[in-house]
Amino acid sequence: MFGLFKPTSPLLGGLLWKNPWRISSNRKLRQRARLRRVDKIVAIVDRALARVGHDMKSLDRWKAEMPTEAEMLPRDKYTMFDKKEKTYRKGVHKLPKWTRVSQRLNPPGF
Amino acid sequence: MSSPTWFRITLMRSAIGLPRRTLGILRALGLKKRMAVVYQPVSRDIAGMILKVKELVDVEEADSYMSKAQIKDSRRPDPGFYVEQRAPRPQPPATQ
Repeated sequence: MFGLFKPTSPLLGGLLWKNPWRISSNRKLRQRARLRRVDKIVAIVDRALARVGHDMKSLDRWKAEMPTEAEMLPRDKYTMFDKKEKTYRKGVHKLPKWTRVSQRLNPPGF
Repeated sequence: MSSPTWFRITLMRSAIGLPRRTLGILRALGLKKRMAVVYQPVSRDIAGMILKVKELVDVEEADSYMSKAQIKDSRRPDPGFYVEQRAPRPQPPATQ
């Protein structure tokens, strides 16, 4: 009745997944590392193309519009816009496949 | 110094569950499974493909190209033995 075999809702019932409404500090740490890794790859591609003497429109756009990890607010790193929430924000970990997609910007006005 | 003209691309995260186009981009880059490595020339189209899957791959600049066979050879561990070869027969001393 204790610990591992405590009758909790996930054990008693069928499919019940619990997702915390905010992410832990360790998940935030890994999220920052992922953001920095993407920044690093964009910088490497940019440097390699510059060495060869090419420019690329989509890369220039990314650099102009996307904030780097250091420039982002904590609010944008760990939460994202959601029109159904009362505060218009939800944890970024609610986004499907959130560790493998880029979510950095808010819609205009939010 | 010769400037690096190759991208060394490693697939770090799988594209399982992502849109099929993402999987197609990985295929087009030549990446089939995690930790696979390919060398691609530095060009705009390859850079565009890398940017599409930048969350999944690791990219470095490389000076020289390595084929799949060369990459596999570089990963092969030392076998720990060598096959003894027959020694060359000593030549008789030249007679005057």
